[in-house]
Amino acid sequence: METAELQDKIFAFCEAAKGKKKLKEKDIIKGVSAEQNVPPDDVKKAMRAMIDVGRLMYSYGGGASSVEIPSEEYLREKGLIK
Amino acid sequence: MKKYNTPLIDQLEKGPWPSFVTEMKKAGKNNEMANDAVGHLEKCYTTKMGYWKHGGIVGVLGYGGGIIGRYSELGEEFPGVAHFHTVRLNQPSGFFYTSKALREICDIWDKYGSGLTNMHGSTGDIVLLGTKTDALETIFAEYSSRGWDLGGSGSDLRTPSCCVGPGRCEWSNYDTLDLVYNLTQEFQDELHRPMFSYKFKIKAAGCACDCVASIARSDFSIIGTWKGDILIDQKEVQNYAKKGMNVMSEIVSMCPTQCMSYDGKELKIDNAECSRCMHCISKMTKALKPSGERGATICMGSKAPIVVGSLLSWVIIPFIKLEPPYTELKELLRKIWDWWDDNGKPRERIGEVIEVKGMRSFLEAIGVPPLPQQIKEPRKDPFMFYTEADIAAYKAKEAEEKKTGKYRF
Amino acid sequence: MALPQRRTDIGPPHYRQFMPPVIDKNYGKWKYHEVLTPGTMVHVAESGDKLWTVRVASPRILSTATIREICDVAEKFCGGHLRFTTRNNVEFLVSDEKNLEPIKKDLAARGFKMGGIGYGITNVVHTQGWVHCHSAATDASGIVKSMMDELFEYFESKRLPNKLRLAVACCVNMCGAVHCSDIAIVAVHTKVPVVDDEKFKNMCELPTVIGSCPTRAISPDPAKKSVKINPDKCMYCGNCFTVCPPISIKNPERDGVAIVVGGKINSLRSNPKFSKLVIPYISNEPPRWPKVVAAVKHIVEVYASHARKHERLGEWIERIGWERFFALTGIEFTFQSIDDFTFMRDTMRTASTFKW
Repeated sequence: METAELQDKIFAFCEAAKGKKKLKEKDIIKGVSAEQNVPPDDVKKAMRAMIDVGRLMYSYGGGASSVEIPSEEYLREKGLIK
Repeated sequence: MKKYNTPLIDQLEKGPWPSFVTEMKKAGKNNEMANDAVGHLEKCYTTKMGYWKHGGIVGVLGYGGGIIGRYSELGEEFPGVAHFHTVRLNQPSGFFYTSKALREICDIWDKYGSGLTNMHGSTGDIVLLGTKTDALETIFAEYSSRGWDLGGSGSDLRTPSCCVGPGRCEWSNYDTLDLVYNLTQEFQDELHRPMFSYKFKIKAAGCACDCVASIARSDFSIIGTWKGDILIDQKEVQNYAKKGMNVMSEIVSMCPTQCMSYDGKELKIDNAECSRCMHCISKMTKALKPSGERGATICMGSKAPIVVGSLLSWVIIPFIKLEPPYTELKELLRKIWDWWDDNGKPRERIGEVIEVKGMRSFLEAIGVPPLPQQIKEPRKDPFMFYTEADIAAYKAKEAEEKKTGKYRF
Repeated sequence: MALPQRRTDIGPPHYRQFMPPVIDKNYGKWKYHEVLTPGTMVHVAESGDKLWTVRVASPRILSTATIREICDVAEKFCGGHLRFTTRNNVEFLVSDEKNLEPIKKDLAARGFKMGGIGYGITNVVHTQGWVHCHSAATDASGIVKSMMDELFEYFESKRLPNKLRLAVACCVNMCGAVHCSDIAIVAVHTKVPVVDDEKFKNMCELPTVIGSCPTRAISPDPAKKSVKINPDKCMYCGNCFTVCPPISIKNPERDGVAIVVGGKINSLRSNPKFSKLVIPYISNEPPRWPKVVAAVKHIVEVYASHARKHERLGEWIERIGWERFFALTGIEFTFQSIDDFTFMRDTMRTASTFKW
């Protein structure tokens, strides 16, 4: 699978969990890897690339870290949108 | 700048011990944020409660650790602390600095933060207390371009830390400073990008004195030890005695294994019985020193009381050699994290997971055999698991005994 | 001005560049050390080289102004070299004996307090408290300051049977090794938390909240789409608040501190031990917590007058027995000192051999 396509799948996976379950990195890697039949390392690399450009972000709440879709506020602060 | 009336916390500027309130006021002289932190603290002292909200979602792009979001509930009353985030900078091994390095840290912090610090936080980081969200990327660029990276926070590898080790101590059984530097570099990804179920702390102590409290507050405690004899300089023993030490009552009778004797002239140690507690060595450092093979004991699992009570670390590997590039230790850590990944629920520390899943499951996963050094005493109940393989092995042993006519227990 | 280019994953600077030449030369080749005064010690290398250390107290919260002053002193006498200890003291690293007395004089003139080495009380490991933490049930820094003012002589001059390690945790999360200290102060909540049902719905995950409770006191409240807390089971640990902010636990009139004693982290003579509960509750009394300070001082003094040389507080208590400790200190023994959480089996006495 092309990286861009995989990243769309990762994004969809995170979107589906939004507001329901806080996803750890591992949840995404294991979940998408099983769902798309892609090696876990590829998912990890693709996900990390998304985090690096702010398409996803690390979050923290309830005493633990998770990965989420960034808010507009976050993107504005990082200068990624006006 | 607003001038706060602070009659309660002013009382903490009196007395001989250095005052944190004085420090806060010093920072507050030229800094709006620190000034409001002073007013904010007075309010806490007046009402007897805190006003900080839970950590918020802040960080630098690409990292999930190193910044702890902090907002006040009283942001309107004290705008300077409406955002008051913490930046954790990874400290150098052993907390050694030059004034030049410290001044550089201060200059940047004065420019973008409150001017308040903790030297250091409990985990070991340089803690920079209080800055705003929009300054975070700038702060990171300023520090990282000068060679300072962020430390850990959240569900990641927390910044490893160590005792002063070979930098200034005669008792260190391995190079704590180098090991911690090396592990920190090796596991940068684990440190900055939270991928674990919960936090994971590594602390490295050079000997059983454990000046970094590894046995009590690290998931992975590395405690230096040795396998040879304690060398005795009898002349120095006599010097201690001459200077007023009662070698019998202070050394020999305080030895936990009773492996020492002293006849007034010569100190003797039955080294095979010594448990290497460091009492005699630390009291007679000129006269006694370890010899032979050096390395460390790996203990695991310690943590504070949340959730089901505090734990001290358990002995997992009685002895491991620690020499660069520390390949065995790094492989061990990776195996441990893999097992934790497969078995831990969110917010479960590794010690808790080992308790739930059983020590056997853990030891087998990381390839460590059962050893009497791991326990204080064997189990006292008869409820135990037998695998088919266990029974087959016991049966095979018995068949062998029948052949040889000799029991092997 | 343009921002410098950020770099990621570089880790900390290498420690070796910060070390004074005498350490660089004698790295890993130290032979012995001697404590000269409670504030100074000398390390002697196999080569015969010597390094003097002057230790001063720090309130842990340091302004950049004070760090710069520390730098001034280090530049004047130590070639700019210094370090911090794991208990937040500052150590000036003096390579030339000629500078030893002058640096001490200079530090004293600036108001720095030297001490903390050897058999006394050194700096206190503590948490953020009201200064900077969301779950604080007290102010750690304020208690530390009040306590150390009162115990200051044990830092600067007066000696004890062994070292005595103090710690303060502003809640039971206990950042730092507070649970294995000779005497630790732990802030506690004493009231069942209150759930804001409206906010709960939007901010909290039900299974996470239920799972967070160590005593299984939390159950679902389907009608309100929230949770209820069983007051007979709740031990006020606050873990539910950590995972779910709308469960509020702070209460100014009921939050207070408990005192635990007898822990240690080193393995000298006896194994590392946890601190055990002796005083279950003292009200928060800012700004100087007089009763907390008095209690700690009292325990220190009873230990000082009864323990044998080299005995840590916990070792002394184990020798004489806890019943004797309560008798000697006059501390009232209460139900809270009997474990009814997870350790009862290990902590009840199972022999008739005790002291009256």
